[in-house]
Order: sequence, then structure tokens, then C-alpha cells
Amino acid sequence: MDTGTLQLTSEEQAMLRGEQGPAVQQALQYQIEVGTFFGARRMVPITNAHFMGDIEVMGDAGLAHLQDMAGLHAQCRVDTSTNARCMDFAAAQCLGQDPGEVEKERKVIQILRDMRMVTTDTCINYQTVYQPKLGEHVAWGDTGTVIYANSVFGARTNFESGNAGLSAALTGRTPAYGFHLDECRRGSIAVDLRTELTDTADWGAIGRIVGHPNQDYFAVPVIEGVRDMPSSDSLKHLGCSLASYGSMAMYHIVGVTPEAPTARAAFGGREPQQRMTITRDDLEAVYQSYRYVPGANNVVVFSGPQQSLLEMRTLAELFAGRKVADGMRVFVTTNHSILADARRLGYADTLAEAGVTILEGVCFYILQRLSRIREENGWTNLVSNSAKIVNTITAHRFNTVLRRTRDCVDIACTGELA
Amino acid sequence: MTTRIEVERAWGQAATGEALVMREGFSPRYDLDRTTGIISRIGHSAEGATLKDKIVFIPTVKGGVAGGWAFLDILGKGYAPAGFVFGRINPVMVQGAVLARLPIMSGWKSDALALVRSGDIVRLDPRAMTVEVLERKG
Repeated sequence: MDTGTLQLTSEEQAMLRGEQGPAVQQALQYQIEVGTFFGARRMVPITNAHFMGDIEVMGDAGLAHLQDMAGLHAQCRVDTSTNARCMDFAAAQCLGQDPGEVEKERKVIQILRDMRMVTTDTCINYQTVYQPKLGEHVAWGDTGTVIYANSVFGARTNFESGNAGLSAALTGRTPAYGFHLDECRRGSIAVDLRTELTDTADWGAIGRIVGHPNQDYFAVPVIEGVRDMPSSDSLKHLGCSLASYGSMAMYHIVGVTPEAPTARAAFGGREPQQRMTITRDDLEAVYQSYRYVPGANNVVVFSGPQQSLLEMRTLAELFAGRKVADGMRVFVTTNHSILADARRLGYADTLAEAGVTILEGVCFYILQRLSRIREENGWTNLVSNSAKIVNTITAHRFNTVLRRTRDCVDIACTGELA
Repeated sequence: MTTRIEVERAWGQAATGEALVMREGFSPRYDLDRTTGIISRIGHSAEGATLKDKIVFIPTVKGGVAGGWAFLDILGKGYAPAGFVFGRINPVMVQGAVLARLPIMSGWKSDALALVRSGDIVRLDPRAMTVEVLERKG
């Protein structure tokens, strides 16, 4: 048996011999190949997995792989949730998504349920589904979920995309490299924050300032100077942005996150490899760096990540009594449980009355057929308070602009691109 | 004199192909039209180039977990590259490449961006952990 760089336990050796079925055997073989690339010495048991896979990103080849694994009677052995999907079935026809792909997406969901996944369809599982504890090893498959788990909970996970998340769910373990190990979790970039942050978009902008020039999965920023205790949504936008611009999987905020009671603890006794200072001017320069291009039809998006219940309330308050302007479309995405609450609390009605479209169980930038949808609607500029989405959606050739939440709502309701 | 670049990590079978050298980070979600295999992000250093059959040199990564499925997807659609050589890497690229059985390397010990040009014919040898330029673009 080729175990690469890994030393397996007797149970893992039995798995690799196929004694727990061919799906587990195949999953472990794959994990050994990936783990060996990074020089992992052992597997580590996990308590929870989060699986990313929808038909837009998997394609027919990914669906065939999933069907093959289902044919091998693959069953998750740890609690496993699923990430945001590429279509809200109630809106797919209106948006012009392919009926054939809709059917494939339904197949994907059924296969995942048959594997014992809880199809939560959310990229904010950490706010609504499961909150791992300090030191708990998990295998999460969305970058925003990973950086929140590592940074805010002090849990331990790498980016576990697609088949890596599935394999971890099937074997109940993952190769111990990267952020499962103490040495990777120590800070490497010192960030001196010298400005107030007043909106979740500001936190996302900080993620761009730090992440974009330092694209490195193994870089860990340590932020000092945060004046007020940040909310979960603020930390969500910071993490999603760092993960997007910098491909980063962890940050520390001194006095806020659990592995950073002091700067010294966050750096683990080593010197920062780099130091950055961020001022009010640096923050404003982010907003000023975006340029609108002429276009009669534009879109404002609150998505990427999905909105929390508190964000839904904020949007409802800002849109109350107003109407989306001609030439503008507004989309909000959230998950099933939050939307149910938003309906119960009246937020969803308020948004609908303003002309806002709420999409459920999806994220806007991963919508199936998005490039064509953009063309068919003639959308030119995409305005958002998410620093992540203005970065992630660019393959679809939107001109993207980051604005604060209140400004986004004003733009949506006046049609004036400010 | 033959140009040979050593790398720190590698996986997969040996492969030979034409180099496509990117000057910036890459994400198959942010930068690639996965229905055509063409780099579609406006202003990307390789905008308009196809990945098909290329050995793709990429200094670093952006995002994102899409690569976990995207390489298998473009393989199925007939647009897969012949291999990847990264400067800095994240696990997603490895997870995706291993699933699609595409050779992948990371951690070049000499500056591949200075030593390899788009159009050169290069050979990846993951077992030896080397990249070799076989033929210079004319």
C-alpha cells in the first residue's frame, strides 16, 4: 500500500485495504495523494465537514464523479452541511437558467442527501449551522467558512474544496498539514489599523488592502488597533475578503480572536515578515479606486457571503418605504433558515415591496449561466457592499464597484451611480 | 544551455507542452470562462488565452474553492491544460489537479517568470521535481 508521506493508524490501513468499502478506500487514497503533496505525516480525525459542489462548478464530469461515489454506497460518517448552490429553483426560470442544468442540480442535491449530507445550501454555516470549538478539527469547503473557523472559533481546517470535503466526510479525517498544525497558525504580517471601520464594507476593504498585495495561502495577518468589538458580520466580511484577494485561511485580531490575546501570542514568538499601516486615506482610496462605466442597466447585489438575519434587518430598514429605480435590479441572497425568519419578521416583505429580489440558498456570483444572464439583461455595473463579490464575479465581465451598505441602497433607489 | 527549474513540491505524471506564463495570480472562478477554457477576466495578463493543452505557469493563487471541481470540469469539456506550475499554491489547486489527474508543481526555486516565456515548449517531471525548457519560442 502506498501511503506517501503519511503514517496511517491500523484503522486507516484497513480503510485503505478496502475493509470499509470502496468509497472510503477511494476517498482515503485521494487524501493520501493530496496530503503527500504537502508532506503530511498523519491523518487527523474531524468532527464536521462542509461540502462545496453545485452543477455550475462541477459540470457533467463532477456529477459523474459524484454518481460514481454514490454507486459505491458512499455515506458521510461525520455531520456534513452543504454550501450555497448555483440556482434557486423558484427563480431559475425567471433568471433564464438552463432547464437541463436545473434537473442536474436536483440530481446533485438528491445524491448528497442520500450520502447523509444536510443540504443547508449556505456559505454561512458558521452563523447558522455549526460553531466548532477552539482546537476542533473540521474539514470545510468554502474559503469564507474556513477563514472564519480558523480565525474566529480557533478551529482547525484547510480549504477543503469539492472532492476533498467529500473525502473527509466519508473517511471522517483529513491530512494533517497547513492550518491543522500549530506552526502554520502563527502570524506573519503585522497590520496596524489606524482608522475606524463603520460598515461591513469597510471590513471587506481592509481584506483587499491586506490580501491583494500578499497573495499567499500560508500568510496570516495580525491586526492591531481595532477600537470596537467587531460583530460576526464584520468578521465575516473581513475573512471572505482576505480569502478572496489573498487566498488566506486565517487572521488574528489582537484582543478579539481566541489565539490572539496579545500580539506576541498571535505571532507565536516570531518576528513579523512584513508590517503594514492602514489609515483613513488608505480605506477611502479603496472606494475611490472603482470607476463606473456607462450603462443603462445596472445591478446592486447583497451577497457573497449570504446575508445574516441581522444584515437582512439592516437592509429592510434601509429599503423601507423606498423603491428600486428604473434601470436598476437589486438582489439579496440568503439561506433557507434565515429567509424563513426574515419572512416571519417582515423583513422579506419590506424588501419585496421595495422591488428587491431575494434569492434563497444561492450566492449571486456562482449562479449558473451568469455571463449570459448579464448579457441578456444588459447589466454593466455591479455595485455591492461585499469586497469579496466585486472580486469573485469578474470572470463574468461585470464592471464592479464596492460601496458602503447605505450607499448601495441609495444607488439602488436613485439610479445614480455615486 | 538547457534551462532547468527545480520545484519544492510536485504530483502527477510527466508532461510536455507549450508554456502559458501568467504574470499575476489565478483563480478558475475569477479569471476563467469555464465554458470555453479561455481567460476572461478583463485586464488579466493572459486575457484571451486558452488553457487547453498548455503548461500553465502561475506566480500565485487567488480565492477560492472552485478549482476543486473546475479542473475536472474543463477536462470533461476538452479544455484542460497539460499541467500546472505554481510559485505559491493553496490546497484547492492541488485537490483539483489530483482529482483531474493533471500534473501540478509548486515552489519554483528560480524565477520561472523570468526563465520561461509563453510559447516555449517545456517538460514537467514531477518525479525529479524539475521543469525543463525544451525549445524556445522562435
